Amino acid sequence: EDADRGASADLAVVEHRRRLLQEWLSWRVSIEEEVKEEREARGLPLDPLAEILNIADEGEDQVIE
Amino acid sequence: MRPILLQGHERALTQIRYNRDGDIIFSTAKDQHICAWFAHNGERLGTYHGHQGALWTVDVDPTSTIIASGAADNTVRLWDIKSGKCLKVWNFDTAVKRVEFNEDGSRLLAVTEKRMGFLGTIVVLAITLDAEAEQSDERVMTISCEESKATVAGWSYMSKYIIAGHEDGSVSQYDAKTGEALDNVQVHELDMLITDLQWSQDRTYFITACKDKTAKLINARNLEVLKTYVADTPLNSASITPKKDFVILGGGQAAMDVTTTAARQGKFEARFYHKIFEEEIGRVRGHFGPLNTVAANPNGKGYASGGEDGYVRVHQFDKAYFDFTYEVERQARQQQQTAI
Repeated sequence: EDADRGASADLAVVEHRRRLLQEWLSWRVSIEEEVKEEREARGLPLDPLAEILNIADEGEDQVIE
Repeated sequence: MRPILLQGHERALTQIRYNRDGDIIFSTAKDQHICAWFAHNGERLGTYHGHQGALWTVDVDPTSTIIASGAADNTVRLWDIKSGKCLKVWNFDTAVKRVEFNEDGSRLLAVTEKRMGFLGTIVVLAITLDAEAEQSDERVMTISCEESKATVAGWSYMSKYIIAGHEDGSVSQYDAKTGEALDNVQVHELDMLITDLQWSQDRTYFITACKDKTAKLINARNLEVLKTYVADTPLNSASITPKKDFVILGGGQAAMDVTTTAARQGKFEARFYHKIFEEEIGRVRGHFGPLNTVAANPNGKGYASGGEDGYVRVHQFDKAYFDFTYEVERQARQQQQTAI
């Protein structure tokens, strides 16, 4: 029974982490989309450094969160 | 994880910054010169002499052409990284505690100290990213901090906002074009000084370190506190690691400020927390005094810390660091892969 209780506590922790991770990932998707739209609306390059660094867009500079 | 020890400063470190590629480290200390180092072997690339007072801050532009510095001699200076030449001096009424370039290096902000007769300010300067160019004397904008002086400040994504951390534990959001104060939120305990503010790579969120023994992850768009990291010692610095979802905190109390004789007196360790789960996952010892500054390498492969003891310690992360993953993270990644 004790082991069961331990296991359900662990499960609660894991579920909590899963929720935190989901929240974080969905916030990242929404904020990245928002910033992208705002840059486009203002006529700004998606990568602020593309011009000054002359980087061809090879996806190299994508931030992996 | 055997660190490289950089010995080039005789006084307490004040700030460390990596360049964008993560191959050069710039450090400032109270001993009046800036050092540049190769990140991979700790070899000294150069020193920059000219300031007449303790150096508080340094930043490097995104093209790694010039660095900016601020000091107790009431000046901001620009330097040519390659030649070591001082390119420009701006004079202010009080000490300069923080400088930061915006995302494309076209602007520099400087946080000036409050002193009798002078309010603390955030000044914006226009920069030409060319070591040969004539730099403008003009202050593009000056924000005065009437309520509580700013101790740290930086530029958000798109250089849309200037975000400041204050002496009273609050953070402010200003319109970076007009200087208009848009918002102020008491994110830390009242009257607990915010000691550091560092950005995520895309500058949509940032981390603050505070004397209230916590660090906070904050949304730059609306100043919402996303995460809180609770430590057991006053914090001087906090940095967000790329590649892995961690944050690094540095702090500790100077021996003279420690009233109790705790076993881990002062606690001079860099602390790693999981950025999303807010849990502490590890500590790295080494310094003989408080950690005044920590910086994660933008390439994700290491970090550096600077201490009250005058040393810079450069760490390369080992395999265990990259392997460390929570079960839920592993599952989420698998799901993503199957979805693709």
